[in-house]
Amino acid sequence: MIFGLRRSVVAATLLATLGAVVLAVLTWKGSQVTSESFLVTTYIGLFLGALWAMYATGLVVVYTTTGVFNFAQGAIGVFSAFLYWELHVNRGWHSILALFVVVCLFAPALGVTLDAVIMRRLRTASLVVQLMVTVAIMVLLLSVVGDIWEADTPRRVPYLFGINNGIDLGPSQLPWHRLIVFAVAIAIAVSMRFLLRRTRIGTAMRAVVDNRELAALNGARPNVVSSTSWALGSMMGALGGILIAPELGLDPATLNNVVIIAFAAAAFGALRNLPMAVIGAMLIGLLRAHTGAWLDFGPDFRFAHLAVAPLILLFVVVALPQARLEVGRLAHHLRRHERYTKWWEGLFGCGVVILLAVVFSGGWLDFGIWDPGAWGSRELNSANEAMALALIGLSLVPLIGWAGQINFAPLAFAGFGAFVYLKLAGDTGNGYWILLVGLLCAPLGALVALPAARLRGLYLALMTMAFAQAMSLIFFPHPWVMPIIGTGRQFPHIELFGVTFDDRRGFFLLMVCVFAIFVYGLVLLRRSRYGRRWMAINDSQAASATLGVPVVWTKVVVYAVSASMAGIAGVFWATVSGNVDSVQGFDLLIGFNIVLLVAAAGVSIPMAGIFLIFIPLFKGFGLRLEDAGNVDFLVTLLDIMTTYGPGLMVLGMVFNPRGAIFEMGRGFSPILPWRSDARAEIAAENAQKREPEIGELGLERPFNPEEVIAIDRRLGILDDVVPKEGYGTARS
Amino acid sequence: MSPESANPLLELVGIRAGYGTIDVLHGVDLRVMPGQVYALLGPNGAGKTTTLGVASGQIQPHAGSVLLDGHEVNGVSPDRLARAGVCLIPEGRGIFPNLTVAENLRMSTYAGVSYKEVQERAFAQFPRLQERRNQMAGTLSGGEQQMLAMSRALSTDPAILMLDELSMGLAPIIVEELYEQVATLAEAGLSILIVEQFAQAVLGVANEAAIMLHGKILRTGPPEEIAEELTAAYLGMS
Repeated sequence: MIFGLRRSVVAATLLATLGAVVLAVLTWKGSQVTSESFLVTTYIGLFLGALWAMYATGLVVVYTTTGVFNFAQGAIGVFSAFLYWELHVNRGWHSILALFVVVCLFAPALGVTLDAVIMRRLRTASLVVQLMVTVAIMVLLLSVVGDIWEADTPRRVPYLFGINNGIDLGPSQLPWHRLIVFAVAIAIAVSMRFLLRRTRIGTAMRAVVDNRELAALNGARPNVVSSTSWALGSMMGALGGILIAPELGLDPATLNNVVIIAFAAAAFGALRNLPMAVIGAMLIGLLRAHTGAWLDFGPDFRFAHLAVAPLILLFVVVALPQARLEVGRLAHHLRRHERYTKWWEGLFGCGVVILLAVVFSGGWLDFGIWDPGAWGSRELNSANEAMALALIGLSLVPLIGWAGQINFAPLAFAGFGAFVYLKLAGDTGNGYWILLVGLLCAPLGALVALPAARLRGLYLALMTMAFAQAMSLIFFPHPWVMPIIGTGRQFPHIELFGVTFDDRRGFFLLMVCVFAIFVYGLVLLRRSRYGRRWMAINDSQAASATLGVPVVWTKVVVYAVSASMAGIAGVFWATVSGNVDSVQGFDLLIGFNIVLLVAAAGVSIPMAGIFLIFIPLFKGFGLRLEDAGNVDFLVTLLDIMTTYGPGLMVLGMVFNPRGAIFEMGRGFSPILPWRSDARAEIAAENAQKREPEIGELGLERPFNPEEVIAIDRRLGILDDVVPKEGYGTARS
Repeated sequence: MSPESANPLLELVGIRAGYGTIDVLHGVDLRVMPGQVYALLGPNGAGKTTTLGVASGQIQPHAGSVLLDGHEVNGVSPDRLARAGVCLIPEGRGIFPNLTVAENLRMSTYAGVSYKEVQERAFAQFPRLQERRNQMAGTLSGGEQQMLAMSRALSTDPAILMLDELSMGLAPIIVEELYEQVATLAEAGLSILIVEQFAQAVLGVANEAAIMLHGKILRTGPPEEIAEELTAAYLGMS
């Protein structure tokens, strides 16, 4: 302990500082540092910090008062900023009126609705479900924004009071807007701190997370209290979105990514400490401004200065001691009717999938407009893309579904696989290298697993997210990693068994085969010793350790398996279009979408992967119907299903946390002739509904006194505590 | 006042209740008269805590009625009952571990007594809490946590107090100290419904007792008699 800090924290901080200094010396731009330019950079940094502090305050308030870490905080800001634009710019309302309507009416209403419809039911859900649902809300909000306000119109949100009005600072001007932002951010943070610590409603907001029932016994109205929390959090998100939009432009993805910086700031305050979160936001703002002003990372690392926040998030999450995360929340234990898929069932299922794919794409049968055999290159391309994403998604089944290790970086693993393949196979397209790709990606997974070994739940989610973002900003855009070749294919067509898969249909079938192999491999893995260990550490790490399961090693293995699956999938993903956009292609939102898709399907069941094939099918049908031009309704329906489907299905997890496929499978399996167990289970459930006739044997409920006496009498052991005068008088 | 002459303050009539579709209580009748200290005794799983849950509005009965001072309160939310003066101190330290001692006390103010008053009364009864007023409640010792939980009963002038397993997991000397507080409250005329597994702790304060077994009240009577039979009931029936 040094100054009350753990030695590891001090060491990590020193190391990070040293690294930063070395980096600074190496990349020094050489421009003159004057007190003026230094001051201007500082004020820009503080202003940026203030904006992020606003988001971070919202996050911390919602987290401390509801126990839910809201990934949708940024998306609420995006939606509000667009709404503000619509009212103020498009409809010409006065800025103050528009601001009032959005921040004080719309945002609280949204927060209260979210709480009443969704969040209240999430209280006892597992962390995976909680996280997935807030991510689903984020994706849905962004999809709605994309649908209402089409992207091709350029939009600008003006500064409050204009950019040219403000205080003169000599070399530059401090616009009122920025001054207001700074003041508002500080005021919000201070008043939230006051609210949470010094008022009864604030105390109740925190108390409700600790023990909702007890809060009610004290006389607080828990539902009103948690709705207040969500309304406040939502208002802060809205205000942040509107105030930051003039600086960043009105682009959903850019605006939404701001939330990562806010995550870093919030993590700085261990997710619950408001003043530390604000200080963290200011520090990140200053760092960001000063690196931008004085350092030049060269054209090869042209996005590196944007990586300040994800790197800080990585550092904070890995190095700082963690706050207690389980905030008095009762873990909801689901009754598991887990059944291993038998090896021949897996084989049968995979065979059926391949057969169906061949029959449908072969063109031998005529299904009219529904015939995938008649698909053109556009439909096939879209189906291929979706199929490749589904392959990447499968890699999450052992990691998230079984081991319970949340991972938002599947795309980073996939991209790494593509990169390895590019370096190995070069422009030959030799498919045999893919196996080696699988092997070489495993160490990357293991590398991520090492810090992950001591992280749990939410911190793990944040770490993988920061990792994905850092990779997409620093690693992938480097020209050596994914060189851009003029007009040709960066990734040549794959050649396997002497066949070049240059035909889209053939490539689709190849991917279906790989998909089937993956699914079957997962079925076997689930039945193996490792499969059981992964399930065990998901249930309880402590219990697994006492049974002799090497927890860290088990985690390393599951990450390695997942990474190598994702790496192989990444090769196909890159080969679909032949070129990977190294800047846009690794956007965090795509990664989120993959995770959502898998979660919606039912992340723990390998056969659920089959569901992922529906998405490419829907995509293809949608495009085909659009071409045919006369069935608008169906096109819209399929469009909605592909855009909103995964998000909506994840919201469905609120009511049925095992995912859609699990429930479908439960409905479907009794039809299969060999599944007598499924029929028995349904029968048992129906019997249970007939309570209280069944379950009388003292197992479902205790015997009542008459029954005890009756049994004692039968056994001849009736003792003297029989109902005499006075006993049972209280009976109705 | 003599308990027999007045209307019962709390009355449960034919209560059937439980969790999900499974009933735990199979017709419970119970009356707590004004000024009475009523001890509900019985082994683990008898349905004592469920009975308190029904009386405090946390669990809605499947059948029967809950009457407070003659008014039926079935379906009234627990927070409304709490503001109306029903004070349940739940089993296993009824405190908020991530709030400070002072903040825990602030949570007691919903029943209508001011923050200042609540603090004054709580600290007067338990000076140790004052020393630790800015400490997280979760870091207090078991006895201190139970004192903090009890201070809600002492400082908010409840109409009826319900105590669930006050003695659980505490050193005998602390249990004694806590029951001294209960006795003081009882002397002041407060109606109290105490749930305990072991009779010894409550015998000094209770003036009415009941044995509960398998979701029914088997017998009510003077505490001393009930305590004797309790041993027999434990050995014979469970």
